[in-house]
Amino acid sequence: MTDSSARLAAGSVHPSTGLIFRSLFRADFTVLLRNARTLILNIALPILILVITGLHGGSARAGFTGSVFDIALALTYGLMSSSLIGYSLTVARDRDAGVFQRLRVTPAPTWAIMTSRLLVQIVLDIIMTVIVVALGVITRHLDLTVAQVLLLGCVSIAGGAMFLAIAQAIVGLVRSAAVVNALGRVFYVVFLLLGLLGSSGLLGSTVHAISNWSPVGAMINLYGGVLELGSWDWTDTTGLIATAGYIVVGAFIGIRWFRWDSR
Amino acid sequence: MNEPSEPSEPSGASSTAAILDIDGLVVRYGARTAVDGVTLRIDRGEIFGLLGPNGAGKTSTLSAIEGLVKPSSGTVLVDGVDIQRDPLAAKARLGVQLQASSFQAELTIDQIVRLYAGLYGLPIGPAEIADRIRGIGLGDELGKRFKSLSGGQQQRLSLLIAVIHQPVLLLLDEPTSGLDPQSRRQLWDRIERLRTDGGSILLTTHSMEEAQAVCDRVAIIDHGTLVTLDTPAGLIARHRDDPRVTRVARGEVTLEDVFIGLTGSEIRD
Repeated sequence: MTDSSARLAAGSVHPSTGLIFRSLFRADFTVLLRNARTLILNIALPILILVITGLHGGSARAGFTGSVFDIALALTYGLMSSSLIGYSLTVARDRDAGVFQRLRVTPAPTWAIMTSRLLVQIVLDIIMTVIVVALGVITRHLDLTVAQVLLLGCVSIAGGAMFLAIAQAIVGLVRSAAVVNALGRVFYVVFLLLGLLGSSGLLGSTVHAISNWSPVGAMINLYGGVLELGSWDWTDTTGLIATAGYIVVGAFIGIRWFRWDSR
Repeated sequence: MNEPSEPSEPSGASSTAAILDIDGLVVRYGARTAVDGVTLRIDRGEIFGLLGPNGAGKTSTLSAIEGLVKPSSGTVLVDGVDIQRDPLAAKARLGVQLQASSFQAELTIDQIVRLYAGLYGLPIGPAEIADRIRGIGLGDELGKRFKSLSGGQQQRLSLLIAVIHQPVLLLLDEPTSGLDPQSRRQLWDRIERLRTDGGSILLTTHSMEEAQAVCDRVAIIDHGTLVTLDTPAGLIARHRDDPRVTRVARGEVTLEDVFIGLTGSEIRD
C-alpha cells in the first residue's frame, strides 16, 4: 500500500457513534469534575443547606414536615444552581471561545455534542441526589422505601432536565456570555424567592398558587410528594405538569434558537 | 451503537483527481452575500492558497467546505462526497485547523488528543497518544492544559489534531497568524511533509511570502468572488503589465503587488 492509498483508507474511516459519544462524554465529565464552581453549586451547597437547616431543627412549611421540606429544598437548590449558573455559563463561554466550532468540524453529530453535555449534568444531579438523600436518611432518620428512592431519582432527572431546558433557552436566546451569566443569576434569585416566599404563604394565596407553578415551587412539591408518598395531592400533580411544561418549552426555545457560534 | 470504527464506502465517492470540487458556491448571511459563485478544484497532493483582504469571503468559503455554514446554493464535494448530503462522511475526510484554536480549557493535552482521536474513530491508547505528542516536541507538556502552552506549541497541537486521522484534505485558516518566524518556518516544513505523505492542503493566508513559499497554486478572492487563480509565478506573469498592478508596484512586480493591484489599496476591517 502506498502512502497515498494508506491516507485515503484512513480518511474514509467512518467513526462509530458509540466511540464518538464515549469520547465526548469522557471529556465533558472530566471538564465537569475539574470545575470547582459546578461541584460547589451542585454538591456542596445542598449539603450545606441540609446541615444548616438541621441545626435549626428544620424549617417546616405548609403541607410538609421540616425534614421533608429541607431535603426537597436542598435537592432543588442543587439542581437549579448547577444548571442556571454552571451549565449555561459554560456553554456560553465555550461558544465564545469557539470550542463548539472545533467539535463541529469533526464527524461528531451535533446532537451528540450537546447530548453529552446534558447527560453529564444529569449524572451529576443523580449523584447529588444520592448524597443528599443518604444524608437525610442518616441525619433526619427518614424511613424511605425502595420505590421512594427510585422515584426521588426520577424526580431529580426530571428536575435536572427542567432547569437544563431553562438554561438552554437562555443560551439559545442570548449570545453574549456576560449577559447569559447575568441572566442566569437573575433567574436564579427570582425562582428562589418565588418558590420559597410563595410556598411560605407570607405573600398571600395568589402568590402561593403562582409559586406552585414556578420551577422551584414545582420541584419542592414534587420532592415533597415523593418523600411523603401517602399524602400525594393535586399540588404535587401540578408540580409534575409544570415540570413537563418547562422542559418542553425550554427545550424548544433552546434548540430552535441556539447558535453554535456567538458571532 | 456500532462498535469500533469500520471502513465505509463513501456515498458518491469520486475516483477523479480532484480532492475538492466546489461549484457555484454562494454563502449568504441575511442580506449580505459573503461568497458569490465561487468555483474551484483542488487536486490530490496539491497545496492551494486562498488569498484575500479581510471580509473577502475566505473564511466563509472554508466554513462552507467544513460544513459549518449551509450554502445558499452550489455544491462542495470532498473526495467525491457532498458535504450537504453526507456531512459526517465528508468531515471524516477533512482535517481542519480553525483560525482560533479552541479546546476545552480544563482538559490536558493528552486528554484533548484522546478526545479528538475518538471523534475520528481512532481508539488509540495512552502510549500511542504520548508518542504522537512527543512527535511534535511536546513530550514534556503531556499533562499540561492547552491554555498554558505558548502560541507555537498551541499551533503544533492544533495541527496534530487536524491530521490525527490522516485526512485526504487539510484546511488551514491563517495557520501562521501570530507566529514568530521560527514557528512559521517549522509549520511550513510540516505542511510540506504532509503533502509529501500524500495529503492535499487548502490554506488561507494574508502572507504573500507564505503563499509563494508553500502553495502550488493560489486564488485571490474579493467581495466573495474569485478574481484570479494560477501558480504564484503564473499570477505575477499574467498580471505583470496590468495597470492596476504597475500602479502599486515598487520595482520588480511581486505577488503582493498583484494582490494589492487586484483588490485595491483601501484598508478593510
